[in-house]
Amino acid sequence: MSASPSYGSRPWTFYALALLFTLFVIFLYGPMIAVLVLSFQGPSASLVFPLRDPGFMWFDELFSPRRTGDVAGAFNRSLPLAILVMLLTVLISVTAGFAFRRRFRGSTAIFYMAIASLIVPGLVLSIGILVTFRYLGLSATWYGSALGAHLSWALPFGLLIMFAVLGRLNPSYEEAAHDLGASRWQTVKDVVVPIVFPGMIAVALFGFTLSYDEFPRSWLTVGTKNTLPLEIWTMTTNVTSPALYALGTVTTVVSFAVIALALSSIIIIQRRRSRGR
Amino acid sequence: MANSPPKSGAAQGSGEIRLVNVTKQFGNSYAVKDINLTIPHGSYCCLLGPSGCGKTTILRMIAGHETPTSGEIYIGNDMVVGKPPVERGTAMMFQSYALFPHLTIQDNVAFYLKMRGVGKEERRRRALEMLQRVQLDHLKDRMPAQLSGGQQQRVALARSLITNPKVLLLDEPLSALDEFLRLRMRGELKSLQNELGITFVHVTHTQPEAIALADMVVVMDTGRIDQADTANVIFDRPATPYVARFMGGQNVLTGTVTGGGGPGTIRLKAADGSHFETMANGEKPKSELSVAVRRDRIALRRRNGDIASNAVNALWGVVSATEYQGSYVKVTLDVGGQVFVANVSDRDYFAEPVERGDPVVASWKTEDVHILGKVDTGAAGDPYLDAGH
Amino acid sequence: MTPTPSTSKASLTTYLQVAPLTLVLILFFAIPVALVVVVSFFRYQMLVGIVPDFTLKNYIDLFSNPTTWTLYLSTLKFTLIVLVITFVLGFWIAYFLVFHVRNLITAIGLFLVCTVPFWTSNIIRMISWRPVLGTEGLINSALLKLGVIDQPLQWLLYSDFSVVVAYVHLFTLFMIVPIFNSMARIDKSLLEAAVDAGATRWGVVWNVVLPLCKTGIALGALFVVTLVMGDFFVVTVMSGGLSGSATSGIFNDLQFLNYPRAAANAVILLIVVLLIASAIFRLVDVRKELVR
Repeated sequence: MSASPSYGSRPWTFYALALLFTLFVIFLYGPMIAVLVLSFQGPSASLVFPLRDPGFMWFDELFSPRRTGDVAGAFNRSLPLAILVMLLTVLISVTAGFAFRRRFRGSTAIFYMAIASLIVPGLVLSIGILVTFRYLGLSATWYGSALGAHLSWALPFGLLIMFAVLGRLNPSYEEAAHDLGASRWQTVKDVVVPIVFPGMIAVALFGFTLSYDEFPRSWLTVGTKNTLPLEIWTMTTNVTSPALYALGTVTTVVSFAVIALALSSIIIIQRRRSRGR
Repeated sequence: MANSPPKSGAAQGSGEIRLVNVTKQFGNSYAVKDINLTIPHGSYCCLLGPSGCGKTTILRMIAGHETPTSGEIYIGNDMVVGKPPVERGTAMMFQSYALFPHLTIQDNVAFYLKMRGVGKEERRRRALEMLQRVQLDHLKDRMPAQLSGGQQQRVALARSLITNPKVLLLDEPLSALDEFLRLRMRGELKSLQNELGITFVHVTHTQPEAIALADMVVVMDTGRIDQADTANVIFDRPATPYVARFMGGQNVLTGTVTGGGGPGTIRLKAADGSHFETMANGEKPKSELSVAVRRDRIALRRRNGDIASNAVNALWGVVSATEYQGSYVKVTLDVGGQVFVANVSDRDYFAEPVERGDPVVASWKTEDVHILGKVDTGAAGDPYLDAGH
Repeated sequence: MTPTPSTSKASLTTYLQVAPLTLVLILFFAIPVALVVVVSFFRYQMLVGIVPDFTLKNYIDLFSNPTTWTLYLSTLKFTLIVLVITFVLGFWIAYFLVFHVRNLITAIGLFLVCTVPFWTSNIIRMISWRPVLGTEGLINSALLKLGVIDQPLQWLLYSDFSVVVAYVHLFTLFMIVPIFNSMARIDKSLLEAAVDAGATRWGVVWNVVLPLCKTGIALGALFVVTLVMGDFFVVTVMSGGLSGSATSGIFNDLQFLNYPRAAANAVILLIVVLLIASAIFRLVDVRKELVR
């Protein structure tokens, strides 16, 4: 009948919890909005309210290396790194997800290794990777050791999402495709991938943002050149102008753009599906 | 169906259920509309209808899991709308059984007692007694997932009965069982109801289940009740074309009253020119009328030449399918594009077998014709045209 | 949360499919962690750096240093406080979304509202508390203007309070998501069955919802514990350097390139985290949960 049971008028707990929820959302977004507002100030700006002569000067300041550090350079490393992590996470966790649908020797060990990799404190891993690279005679770089450090966190997340997605993929779809004469590759291309595609976007979103915002795992592994979160960290200790907030606004806008892109593509796919193309 | 509230009469523990002008709306659509129904105390009532007809909504409103948009529901003398389920004296058995997956079956059965603050020792003892009653005491420490479907159902039954209800509400209780178990549990439910003497309200979409179990069958169609009566009346004398079709076992014919036939009868003329007679019941000439004839009351014979144009209670058609059913053979005829079914006993059939494509004449007696309360609005688009057996 | 059960036998393809994941995990998780353990027994020599050896000196140094104990105690205190707050918030928010919001689309929308900040920079979210909690921040100026206080509250920022606020802000989501996930899978008729049996609203939560969310709660607690225990940056920034954490010691050792002692400290941290993790899983008995 109806999707959810009706209880007549709403109980008082609804209003109490709705209030709690509203307060939580304010708690969640309030400070971010404060930073957003404070980043649009003029030269007489300060780090607290009220807002002084609105303007864009701190955004200009941000990308001119006079006062602040190498923000532009950090962007130029963080974005490619995040995209690389995203692509590898999707590729590796999707294929691994398929492997886990069958029972194979060592599956339990690999599964627990992935979970452990999720739990281990980032700093511990950061030290470990740095030491490993030293012994291997390699120097730490953002495209080498940092990439690996990010993957060690993004992959388990991707794997868990793929478990959830593939758990709902009935094996009889593939069997039906085989019965109808589809080759292995055709089955993957025309049946499996279209079904799990929204899940793959979710994995991509996780891969991108986990890398783009990752701090502890990057700290010792990026080498001499900072990624964006490290750059922000440095700025928190030596920059006392709203340029810091401007940087916060810029990175948040990038994050929101990525989230919006991911969510809207999922929604478009689902809608197209329910309309029956 | 008496709808006047009993002035005194019914005892405190009465399990009589009365629905008065009950309507339930979900958004803009009506799940049930203006329902009036009285289920007598101690009866086995089946709510029967296709999915989406509102039968589960009625059950859930009696249980207190839905609140009617308008109207009143009485159990015994109490108007129960707005009361919590536990104060209604009802117990519900869910379609999925809703056994708590984190509790042993003994704790599942003892749950009601725990909520009432009964001590651990006593509630365990009483739960065990109840499990003995459904012959599952040896499995008391199992988790629900470790039981078979039939065992889970018994646990659900024990959990409902421990509340000592006046009314037991069963939502499609047999649908999750396989055919063999379904028949066995059907018998057990019936004997349990006899033994307890309380009211059972049972929601189902299968006609044989309703006919086998119920003292009272309520046939529903999209939010309203078409007929509420004993199984025998519902099956033998359906009130509407919808009930006739949904219960199966009937052929529905429609014609215009042309005048008197034999003594005490009237004559109808169908659109295809055939004539039939039925017992007169004060119908006006020229009015449209639908009638039903039971499939097992039809006689079939091979057609030799044309039938007389003034032949009464006879149709000629071509056999389009035969289906052997054991004690009888279901012969489907194509009568001028309409489907007509005759259930011929196996002895008669094999005395003179017919095959697909054979021209035949179907005939019946006037007293086997039953007038329906509504004119058939056309079988086209009716998904229950060939329902039942 | 286990791999899906097998349907057919493993083949070469299966191993090829899982090879990249295994390779990354071995290279960037197993070997590094193993090396941390090994290096923790090495010797540190000024100017030379790491000298291979087998010595317990690093561990003895750490255990005999009262600062280590203070730092761990302070971290455990933060972990416990944050765990309690995030659990209470996470449980009731998930409960609200699953059982009180009637429209599924609305519930998903509100759930997304909670999750979006997770995908933005943690450091920025942390810093964003400065203009709110600071001496001239939003809260202080509002309270001053209302006349509630006549001196700005100093304990709002750069204090234990602000550290907890930032942790709750950053990590509550890790509680909401797994609890929401297990709650959403509860069959609604179980709640009706409990109500039928006379359970009160609170009785339903305590006897049905809470036991059936155990797995989600355990997972959420695991995330929160590891994130708070392993954190260095939030505690440093939000306490203004006043409070330390278990990782502060690691940070200091790394400043002096004393890798062996940093590694020893990391091993201790790892062991403490694993102990708490196994305690959580013992409490919940995940194996029993998986049977059903």
